[in-house]
Amino acid sequence: MRILRFVGRRLLQLIPVLLGVVVLTFLLVRVLPGDPIRTILGPNATEEDAAAARERFGLDQPMWKQFLDYLGGLVTGDFGTSIQSGGSVTAEVALRIGPTLELVVLSVSLALVVAVVLGIWSARRANRAGDHGIRIVALVGNSMPEFWLGLVLILVGYSVLGWFPAPSGRVDPDTNLTPITGADLVDAVLTANWPAFTSAAAHLVLPVATLAVVIVAPLLRSVRASALEVLHSEAYVAAGAHGLRPRTLLRGYLTRATMVRVPSLAALVFGSAIGSTVLVEYVYSWQGFGQWALRGLLYRDYPVVQASVVIIALAYVLVFLIADVVHAILDPRVKI
Amino acid sequence: MLQLGGSVALLLATGACAAGSQSGSSGRSADPAASTLRIAVSSYLSSWDQDFVGFDPTALMLYKNIFPYLVDYGVTEVSGSKILDTTNVMPTFAESFEPSADQKTWTLKLRKGVKFASGNEMTAADVKWSKDRAFAAKANVAGVYRTIGLTEPDQVRVVDDYTVEFAQAFPSALTPQIQAISLYVFDSVEAKKHATAADPWAQEWFAKNAPTGGYFNVTKATQGQEIVLEANKGYPGPEPAQTGTIRISVVPAAANQRLQLQNGDIDIALGVSRRDIADLKNVDGIKVISAASNDQVAIQMSVTTAPFNDVNVRKALAHAVPYEQIIANVYGGDARPTSSLVPLDMPGYDANGYPYKYDIEAARAALAAAGQTSINSELVFATDNDTQQQLAVLVQSEARKAGIELKLTPLDPATLAERRQQKNIPLQITSGQLWVNDVEYMLATSFVSGANLNYSNYTNPEIEQIYEQSHTTVDEAARRQLWTRVQQILAADVPWVIICQPNFNLPVREEVAGWVQPMDGLARLRYLTTSG
Repeated sequence: MRILRFVGRRLLQLIPVLLGVVVLTFLLVRVLPGDPIRTILGPNATEEDAAAARERFGLDQPMWKQFLDYLGGLVTGDFGTSIQSGGSVTAEVALRIGPTLELVVLSVSLALVVAVVLGIWSARRANRAGDHGIRIVALVGNSMPEFWLGLVLILVGYSVLGWFPAPSGRVDPDTNLTPITGADLVDAVLTANWPAFTSAAAHLVLPVATLAVVIVAPLLRSVRASALEVLHSEAYVAAGAHGLRPRTLLRGYLTRATMVRVPSLAALVFGSAIGSTVLVEYVYSWQGFGQWALRGLLYRDYPVVQASVVIIALAYVLVFLIADVVHAILDPRVKI
Repeated sequence: MLQLGGSVALLLATGACAAGSQSGSSGRSADPAASTLRIAVSSYLSSWDQDFVGFDPTALMLYKNIFPYLVDYGVTEVSGSKILDTTNVMPTFAESFEPSADQKTWTLKLRKGVKFASGNEMTAADVKWSKDRAFAAKANVAGVYRTIGLTEPDQVRVVDDYTVEFAQAFPSALTPQIQAISLYVFDSVEAKKHATAADPWAQEWFAKNAPTGGYFNVTKATQGQEIVLEANKGYPGPEPAQTGTIRISVVPAAANQRLQLQNGDIDIALGVSRRDIADLKNVDGIKVISAASNDQVAIQMSVTTAPFNDVNVRKALAHAVPYEQIIANVYGGDARPTSSLVPLDMPGYDANGYPYKYDIEAARAALAAAGQTSINSELVFATDNDTQQQLAVLVQSEARKAGIELKLTPLDPATLAERRQQKNIPLQITSGQLWVNDVEYMLATSFVSGANLNYSNYTNPEIEQIYEQSHTTVDEAARRQLWTRVQQILAADVPWVIICQPNFNLPVREEVAGWVQPMDGLARLRYLTTSG
């Protein structure tokens, strides 16, 4: 019950946060130099053409009216009409968010597992060869730009070895996967389309690996540092001195105490992973949320920029909320 | 519309060309081969609705192949390459398109029995509805129709079920070319089923649903990933599609397009960089099509912004640009030098139209004539355009020798569009091709007061007068005289530094044939064949 009350309270706190984000984004995107109408009309449109287009998108209205219209739409889940495509932003978000979430969730999950296992293993062998090796690998992973890493993995995995499909989409179109959530693996399961499942999984390997390599390094370093702290703590030393079995020590004392930090770290990494998807999606022809938001920003597509910032803010807040709850479950000292 | 941005020019210069085309064949549709052609493009189209779409090169190329265009360019052969013939606009889905004696009224006659995918027959009502929609959209088509005296829906009249009249306010030599890029038709019977009081032109429906009835029909579109085109077997006119199926996949990264082409996973790569293309020339199984193109690269100088408001300063820059070095180093020798602001191959081109060569001494002298020994300016180019960046660096380095110090300023698309609109960029690199291969159109878009590609903010009373006169001058010899005078004036005023016309390069698998170089930059996929 206490957790439910906490979640409820935090969800209520979301409202002013999101309202602030909405107001700021609405204003900031209009302060940026650049005219979205001119970017869609092409160079030979006249002023009358531009005026007609502005009227079509409601950009001829006073700012306060535009804001109220936008706010009214948000209440009903309507993010407006994209200036670039003329389509509903809500529908475009629905198409784009699934593939990106699938990519990010899988990458962050993989990175978390790898970071926890290797981080603890490394801390228990601190300053030995294995530990140094892992730290160097993590450093290298952290230093590699995702764009470059993606191209190298494609070159090796697709072009040289031929193990993975061409980087031109998320699933083989011939599998006729019916989109439901936009996350292809999930859709394949929901529609029991197993050829599509295999194809989507094969398409996911390289982009997930790229993103995971990039985000695993900071996670691994933090887990290792946390594990070292626990290993040197009085509680752990005392438990060891009492002659507890190594397995009990590892599971009950080291792993659980080390994991306490992981939820907050994972939440942070989740946010940075969403940012990294812009390049990863580009390299792998992923056509997800990151590419969509970037294009919106480049062309000052106001409704798209507004929607993408609000969604990213929402994702951040929700992920941190989940992290806090998990943290509380893992760490009995935390009261919520 | 009109001039294509630099970064997209390569993508659009997908020409088409023609080893297997049946130029001049008439009447019925051939039975297209059962072969499949795979093409990679850089982005998915933003909307299927041609009237209301933003400026989207991939979409515009696709429209050319899936909308029924009632008239289109023919094909001619130049130096062993097939190119679209802008002097020959011929009926395709239409039976005929002829002017009255005074050339003010053009009569379009439709073929009977032409059908959209819905089964609805294409009639005059579809043409009328489509043109009414274009006027209501107040976008691309409405814009170009102004140049031939079509400004009101009432000027498009239905005579009978298969005849439509276009009553222009004045006769125009541009009419065939303007109609070749504008006369596309929607299935109005189908459209009306999806129209509502709030959405009378069925915008919402057309944004998501591909048009039908063109050379190809879209049989499958996987959002963001792939579009499958099937040849329209009901096409009644000349030069039907030569390939049964075309699969268009979206591969944004140029490096990946290159890899897929090398691995044989695609047959044509429409978004590969110049550097990759140069490498691909030596790869087994791949050939690079190279064809002379009308893509122009220039530096537009603002004649109303200091220091380029002084013609001598403009002449100084024109002498300080290393033309041959740019062709050699930036384009690998694969570009044509040009001597006029009128593009090479455009009717009326005069080789005396740009008498400026790389000569640092002459540049210094011109600067001295302006009473200056050194000047500063920014040189703006598109932030995502590697070629423009290389070019800017070379110009910066040579101009410095003449006392012209340039600060390189890359701008993102929206900022560039806004600053262009404000006409406050002193120097900017432009590249692109005109969609209509005619000097009158070039003046309308680039050199008369208020023209939207006139980033130089250039005006000259005599050019304005010639432009007005050209509207109603339909005699070819008289037009040529006007164009000669235009080039003399531009040579004296130097609003642009004209750098070169890069050739069109396209890497394809060996089995691909049939490219026709498109003079409007929009590939005609119907000519393509593959034996693979």
